[in-house]
Amino acid sequence: MATQIDMKSKSHMPKDSLFFEKIVPISLITMGIITLGLILFAASVILGIVHF
Amino acid sequence: MSLNSILPFFSTAVMAWFTVDVFKRYIVRRNPAFLFWAIGLAMFGAGSFAEAYLALAWNKWVFFVWYLFGAALNAAWLGHGTLYLLARKKWRHVVTVFLVAGSLFATYLMQQAMPKLDTTVFTTDKPISEQYGAKALDEGEVAPVAAQTISTTYRGAEVTAVRGLLPLGTSVRLTTPFFNIYGLLTLVGGAIYSAYLFWRKRVMPNRVVANVLIAAGALAIGSASTLTRLGYGQFLYLGELISAVTMFIGFRMAAKPQPDEVVVSSAVPASAD
Repeated sequence: MATQIDMKSKSHMPKDSLFFEKIVPISLITMGIITLGLILFAASVILGIVHF
Repeated sequence: MSLNSILPFFSTAVMAWFTVDVFKRYIVRRNPAFLFWAIGLAMFGAGSFAEAYLALAWNKWVFFVWYLFGAALNAAWLGHGTLYLLARKKWRHVVTVFLVAGSLFATYLMQQAMPKLDTTVFTTDKPISEQYGAKALDEGEVAPVAAQTISTTYRGAEVTAVRGLLPLGTSVRLTTPFFNIYGLLTLVGGAIYSAYLFWRKRVMPNRVVANVLIAAGALAIGSASTLTRLGYGQFLYLGELISAVTMFIGFRMAAKPQPDEVVVSSAVPASAD
């Protein structure tokens, strides 16, 4: 028996991970769209389109 | 006291812990980003505490704190911390001047609004988020059940309005969209951008997840605030608690040191050498 030193990276994303390949990008795009919607709403309040 | 009215107590506790945690990091690392985050979080916590207080009793200065820090300023100061991490030094200083000047102006406008508060509408039966602002009803629009209405002149026209603590046309309410747009762009936009950068380089998975959580937490309160402005204030306190917890978890994940590599020793058969 011999001991082998195996370097395993922890600071890289796991390959073929459904979470990082699909869920993360979809979440980022969805949140970007929601952010844009909220900004447009706030802008419409400033412009007087939405009354308060 | 309803379950909804208890939520701000939990949000206050989480935000107090979060604020101390971030401020301690500022003391150690002297990075202004942590200072701006700590100020924004302290404002968030003060707003939550004010909500909790106003569920029990009326105090006009507690309302002052709730509106100014909780509704108007906190998102912008939190987002400004993120800006300090992402923007060039020259721009950071310019925007800081605008943020401080804008915050002082909003404070002045809030101070001006204090004598005009319609305090007779206040009740501890409803969350403050459902009674803070008067709202002019559009033609054909029906006032919510049990809402007190008033006929008044607003922008040169006779309107029926739902009464609120801040009367129609109170100037300080016009400032909140500006602060919230800036806060959304920098806090959520900054977190999404940071997550994307790490994701694209396929590194630091903990930072990717942390930034997704920070963006999601900020959006939770942003969405709840927007619903409040549309007349659905019952979601604000839940949104705040979700936001406080999610952002705190995200921040702790981002701040956690991660070794580049770990050495794994394994015993293998000699024949495999």
